[in-house]
Formats: sequence, C-alpha cells, structure tokens
Amino acid sequence: MIFLMALVLMYGDFLFADFSPFDAGRLTIYTVPKMLLMFILLMSVYINRSISSFFAIVFGILIDIYSGLVYGVHTFGMVAFVFFMHTAFRVFYKDFVAMAFVVLTLTFLYDAYIYTIYRILGLVTLPIFDYIALRGLPSLILNALLFIIVFIITLQTSKVRKNLLPKH
Amino acid sequence: MNKLLNRNKMLIILFGIIILIVFIGFSMTDRSSTTKAEQFTGDTVAASQSIIGAPVHFVSNIFTNITELFGAAAENEALRTQLEMVPQMHADIGRLEAENERLRDALEVSAKRNYDTINSRVISRSQDQWLNNFTIDKGENDGIEEGMAVMTPEGLIGMVRRVNGNSSFVEMITTSVSQNNLSVEIHNGDATIYGAIDHYNSERGLLVVDNIQNTATIEPGDAVFTSGLVGDFPEGLIVGEVVRVENDEYGLSQNAFIQLASDPSEVDVVFVLERDPDSLGE
Repeated sequence: MIFLMALVLMYGDFLFADFSPFDAGRLTIYTVPKMLLMFILLMSVYINRSISSFFAIVFGILIDIYSGLVYGVHTFGMVAFVFFMHTAFRVFYKDFVAMAFVVLTLTFLYDAYIYTIYRILGLVTLPIFDYIALRGLPSLILNALLFIIVFIITLQTSKVRKNLLPKH
Repeated sequence: MNKLLNRNKMLIILFGIIILIVFIGFSMTDRSSTTKAEQFTGDTVAASQSIIGAPVHFVSNIFTNITELFGAAAENEALRTQLEMVPQMHADIGRLEAENERLRDALEVSAKRNYDTINSRVISRSQDQWLNNFTIDKGENDGIEEGMAVMTPEGLIGMVRRVNGNSSFVEMITTSVSQNNLSVEIHNGDATIYGAIDHYNSERGLLVVDNIQNTATIEPGDAVFTSGLVGDFPEGLIVGEVVRVENDEYGLSQNAFIQLASDPSEVDVVFVLERDPDSLGE
C-alpha cells in the first residue's frame, strides 16, 4: 500500500515536468513538486522512521537510475532528510502547523541541496538569487498547496496500514 | 554510551558521504555501456510509468485534439498545398542523392552524413527539472546504443547517455557533459568555420562556440551544423543559428552564441540517429 502510493506520487512528480517551466513575460519560472519527498517525510512521523528510511533508499535509487545524471544525489539526500525530519520533530512541538512548516522547509532545502551539488559539479550556472526567485519560492508555494493532498494521503495510508496489521 | 552513539552516527554520516562521492565519480565517468542492474531498474520504472501515465495522457490528448480542431481547416489547406509539392521533392532528393554519391565516390570521401533514423517518443522528463534530460521508449532491442545523436524534427537536441532494453536516457546538449562530443561548423555564405561547443549559457538560453579566429567572418543568422569531426555524431545535423557574435575578454578571438533550432522545453517525438559504421574511427 505504502509502496503503491509512493509510486503514484513519484509519477505525479514526473508528470509535472511536462507542464513546467512556464514563461511569465521574459521570465522562465520553474515549479518543482516534491510530493514523494513530502510523503516519505510524513511517513517518518505517522508510520515509522525505519520504514520511511527504507522507502527513501528504494525511491532514491529508482529516481537516480531512471532520471538522474549524477547517481547517489537523491538516495543520499532522501535518507539524510528523513533523519533531519526526525531530529527537527523532536525539537518542534508536535502540531499540524509546526509539522507543515518543517516539511515545507525541508522540501525547500532539499531542492537547494541538489542545486548546490549540481553547482559544485558545474552542471548548472543559475545564480543563487535567480534560483530562489524563479525556482525556490514558486516551488515552495506549489508544495504548500500539494502538502494538503499528500497529508491526507499519508493519513489514509497510515489508517489502512493499521487496519491491515494483525491486532495484538 | 551517548558518546559511542554519537561516534556511530558520525561514522554512518561519513560513510554515507564517501558512498555519495563514489557514486558521483562513477556516474560522471565517460562510460560506454550500461550495467544490467541499471537496465533492469530503468526498464521497470519506464514500463510502470507508461501504464500509470496512459490515462493522464489520454485525457490530455482529448483536450489537445479539441483545441486543435479549431484551426484544423486552415492547417489542412496549408498541408494540402505542401503535399502537392512532395512528388517533385522526392524526385529531386533521389536525383541529388545519386549525384552526391557519384561525386563522393569520385573524390573518395567517406559518408559522414549517412545515418539511419529510429523514431521514438518521450516517456518522461527529468523530475527534478534541473538538466531537462528525458527518457525515450526505445532501447537496446531497437538498435539504440550509447553516444547516438538525438534530434527533434527541428534540429539536434541531445545524445543517448544510457541504454536499457526498451528505454533510453537522453542527455540534452544544454548540459555540460554532452558537449564534449559536439564539434560544429558555421556556414557563412560559401565559407565554413569549424569550432566546438564550449558551454550552454543558461541565462541567455544559448550555446557558446568559443576560440574562433578574429579573421573569420561570422554574422547573426549563419546556420550551424554538426561537423562530424569529433565523437559519434554524423555530419550536417542542424544545431541552430548564430544570434550574436562577441569578442572574448582579451579581444584575441570571437565567441558565437547559438540559438538552438529545437526547443528544449517542448520535446515529444524524437529521432535517434545511427551513424554509418564505415564513417566512424577516421
């Protein structure tokens, strides 16, 4: 069930690439959804950190091999961000707003992490200000909207999983 | 105990970083083959994506068809006019090809322009949207190999980077890695200027050919083609046209800025070019 939902969300992320970037006047704006990442981060809270880490590795490898130019970036990033989520959530009080804030901040930082790696390797030359204005912030707004959908999906998945597990 | 845990955590993080660096090194090397594990993973994801994406594309096609219906009559008329010219064009092409072949034989020049095409459809774009790479629905079983050139109907767009059984990963010429193999020729009237793509200027959205002699005349509007001198790309593929020419920072040579003929953000159907093996290795 978790695997299927994660798979659908991963393809959802892929589908967005058909509609983005779009031109607004002379500017090219990128909106990059991170539904899979948000799902994996929320799983670490609502289901289990170990399961979340396992799926982070599996889907990180899938994305790296299927569509990545540089291997390891997504695999390492996803696992590291699950650990960040766990650490951040121990510090923040567990309520919906705090959790939404942490998840959205981490999705923003995850894209910034990939930007940094590609920038170091010389694969992208986008200046940092352009990155934040034309990609970072529009993606953050999109992910804030998508967060609600992913949150509901995670809750439902968690409930279904609990019902399916044998009761002691 | 706490210290021990912290030390273990530190070791795990360090180990993770080392693995990441090893993977980066592995993927940045100029490999000529794709491993079986990569092929299996790539094919599995491509196949399941085709199944999951089918309903979405079906609905999207319905909307596209409805939109296109409005301009169908005028487009039909324009296409009919073009079609009437096709028999004459076919006859001309046949005659010119035969003449070209005769002249090539007479000069003992190899057929760097000869290639076969494999039609393919784009299954997906890179989901992180950084490098605009994409996956196509043809692979090793269809005769595709690493290093082959990939074109849209408008012009060159990239090269095959990894080949799976039934899908392939294509790297666009707007990324720095693929440009190592890209030598070009700029046509200015009867003169031909040779050069190599240095990088892609993402702010301007233009390819840059550098180190062109100051004495060479290049003007905006000059057509740019592949030269076939380096790498596996055939000669004569349309790359784009020169839109700007500037002196380099020391004034010793010129840089030409090239607008790609194909649109990197609108890639749907592509052709993979299989270069004539006789023309390779010269």
